[in-house]
Amino acid sequence: MGKYLIKRLLHGAVSIIVVVALVMVMIYSLMERDRIFASDSMYTKVASNQRTVYCFTKWEEYGYLDLVTYAEYLAGLALNGEIDEETRSAASAIARTPEQDSKVVREYTEKFTQYYESQGYTVERLNAKTNGRKLVNGGQQQLFAHKDHPLAYRMWKYFTGLISIDNIHRVQEDIGERGLTFTLHDPVYGGDKFAPAIIGNGTVHKYLFYVDDTFPYLHQNFATINLGTSYSVNRGIDVFTTMTASQGPYVLSPVTFPTGLHEDSADDLHTATYQAGSREMNPVNADRFTDDYTNVLTEKGSMSKVGFSFVIGIIATTLAYMLALPLGILMARKKDKLIDKLGTIYIVFIIAVPSLAYIFLFKAIGGKMGLPTSFDLESGSKLMFVLPIISLALPSIANLMKWLRRYMIDQMNSDYVKFARSGGLSEGEIFSKHILKNAAIPIVHGIPAAILSALTGAIITERVYVVPGAGNLLTEAINKYDNGVIVGVTLFYAVLSVVSIILGDILMATVDPRISFSTKDR
Amino acid sequence: MDQDLKNLGMSEEELFSFHDHSDLESEKITAPRYSYWQSVFRVFFRKKLNIVILGVLVILIAFAYIYPMVTEYDRFGQVLNPNARHKSPMEAVEMFGLNIHWILGTGGAGQSTFDAIWTGAQISISLAFICAAINMTVGVVVGAIWGFSKKVDIFMMEVYNIIGNVPYILFISVMVMLFTASFWTMVLALTITGWLGIAYFIRTQVVIIRDREYNLASRCLGTSTIKIAMKNILPFMTSVIVTLLATEIPSYISYEVFLAYIGMGLTDMSLGRLIFEAESAMVTPGWQFEFWSPVAIASIITVVLYVIGQNLGDASDPRTHM
Repeated sequence: MGKYLIKRLLHGAVSIIVVVALVMVMIYSLMERDRIFASDSMYTKVASNQRTVYCFTKWEEYGYLDLVTYAEYLAGLALNGEIDEETRSAASAIARTPEQDSKVVREYTEKFTQYYESQGYTVERLNAKTNGRKLVNGGQQQLFAHKDHPLAYRMWKYFTGLISIDNIHRVQEDIGERGLTFTLHDPVYGGDKFAPAIIGNGTVHKYLFYVDDTFPYLHQNFATINLGTSYSVNRGIDVFTTMTASQGPYVLSPVTFPTGLHEDSADDLHTATYQAGSREMNPVNADRFTDDYTNVLTEKGSMSKVGFSFVIGIIATTLAYMLALPLGILMARKKDKLIDKLGTIYIVFIIAVPSLAYIFLFKAIGGKMGLPTSFDLESGSKLMFVLPIISLALPSIANLMKWLRRYMIDQMNSDYVKFARSGGLSEGEIFSKHILKNAAIPIVHGIPAAILSALTGAIITERVYVVPGAGNLLTEAINKYDNGVIVGVTLFYAVLSVVSIILGDILMATVDPRISFSTKDR
Repeated sequence: MDQDLKNLGMSEEELFSFHDHSDLESEKITAPRYSYWQSVFRVFFRKKLNIVILGVLVILIAFAYIYPMVTEYDRFGQVLNPNARHKSPMEAVEMFGLNIHWILGTGGAGQSTFDAIWTGAQISISLAFICAAINMTVGVVVGAIWGFSKKVDIFMMEVYNIIGNVPYILFISVMVMLFTASFWTMVLALTITGWLGIAYFIRTQVVIIRDREYNLASRCLGTSTIKIAMKNILPFMTSVIVTLLATEIPSYISYEVFLAYIGMGLTDMSLGRLIFEAESAMVTPGWQFEFWSPVAIASIITVVLYVIGQNLGDASDPRTHM
């Protein structure tokens, strides 16, 4: 069993990697990279040469290419001591066109061009765009070199960066003495209450371990999961955080900041990460924090995207199993009677009619009955869960009924049933003790998949009812051309489906003693 | 006894004459002539319901393909007439006179909803049939090879496990996102991995039938693999394939509707696109017709196709031909 499981898991891991690689190849090599700016407001604000440079900076940020500007090159030279500060500033002043360059500038631009072209970079010089003598908006002259990252390199980076381990050398800036401190009295709680915490300096996260009153109570930040950075859906935030962070209105609670400032704030100080120079840039941060660990997440009143999908999905799945099992059994027992025919009509309806059509039908009927038809995080009413749950449950009821009826009817003709009947058992006993046990095995196989697919959410249902869940995330990312999120969500889906198939097999083997995975027993 | 024979009107010699024995003649088996497809249709038409549903399907397809041809549908024909927008059937008939165009009211650009749904139905049905044709052909051929060859099986199982791990909808959405959503792009997106599930299904069926005794016997007698595949296995598969087709064709219409709804649909005014554009009309009093008409037509088409397919599948199972 153990050996078999390891083999299955390895197999699953390989298939996950292949799938993510496939999606990455499709997205990064087939899609025009300009499309990522489709819903970027900054892109429309900048113009002319500045827009070109903006694009290249963003592409570098999102892993498409490596970008070196002329200024960075000179700064690098100055840092290595190859040129002094005076030459640097003289050489950095490139003119509007190459012909107007001074001698120093020409010397260094040529060096820059030669060096980076020999490295396989493309060097681009954009001449100033002028309107008469005046520069047009964003029309300053630019000089930079860029080189596309090969896809294999991107994939390598992605997979190696999936889990990042925090350590005290992660922050590159000068931060004072690096190290980890263990304290029994977390300063966030005022320093008197017993609450163990590990605080780092030089790490990305300030709190590497802490205790609080939300599930799962003990939290760690040593290892974080990075599924990819979002561009347009949730700017600069990792997909995993996007899916698991709370949503909705801010929850204000009294917070004592490290400077001693008391304030009602939604900031969760435990989530502080390092942001270089943030206190200098923003006086609010200087008021609140004593170090540059200022980037905090905020506490919001509602569940996370995954949380919403999971709650709705779990209730719908439980409901579906609770209703579909008795109904399926009833249909099989009363085969070709009225109840069987009605059930069949329902199953045909669900299978044949486009799912969008019947979800809208439920929405219209529910709306007529006065149920809320769209999600509103502010209201906090529980009634808004009703329609999404019904819309999710009804199709899976049909599906379960269909299979359970099929399996039970198949079993009804088998020899052991005839034997049981000739032995004088009542029909009820035969059904509940003999047929159901055998027919339920394939149904049991699907339980983990049903529960885990609840995590990913139902794409259509969540969109129709505007549920802020995980299923909606994929369609939103696709609409906004957010590549990072698409890849991240793909990985998430792939992991869940691999895990659920394996879990289903294990569960089936536990329920049915005849099924065994170890080769010895066969 | 004698009396009875006399009544037949034949002399005794005629009734009881010697007949020469012929080896060739005695080999012949007298049985009613059996034609497979004739029996399929005989069983299919025995149910009155099937005739009715087939009639509905014929009317639907005729409308979808002939109606847009004979009437010039101009979506923006009345775009400049603000009074023509979002009319309920009653108002539209009152406004333009009783004409088949206006019996379902008008849409957001003053266009006839009735014309729009048939144009949309034509696109959606074409898409479904083309995708089904491609996927079924590739799927059945690949599935048959997959089922027969053990080497191919090892390789294809890996491919299936990998691709099957990802929701189909994800692949389609990414494909449609990458290319501009024209009709043929949609076909490509729906067929690029769509055949795999069918092939796997066929493979399982082939594996089940392949090692049955009658096939082993056939192989022992020296029948070629191709003949076994064509003569022994394919007839068994016909009903399975038809039943599969019955679920496949409506599913493409559903996929198209779904993709259009999440904003990844066709640029043509297919049924999905109509539903997507009229979504806001669902809750607006008096506008419901422009939303529910395409929904209803899409549902009717899929249900009709599904029921016919299922019943045809049942009828093509030789065990029902008795």
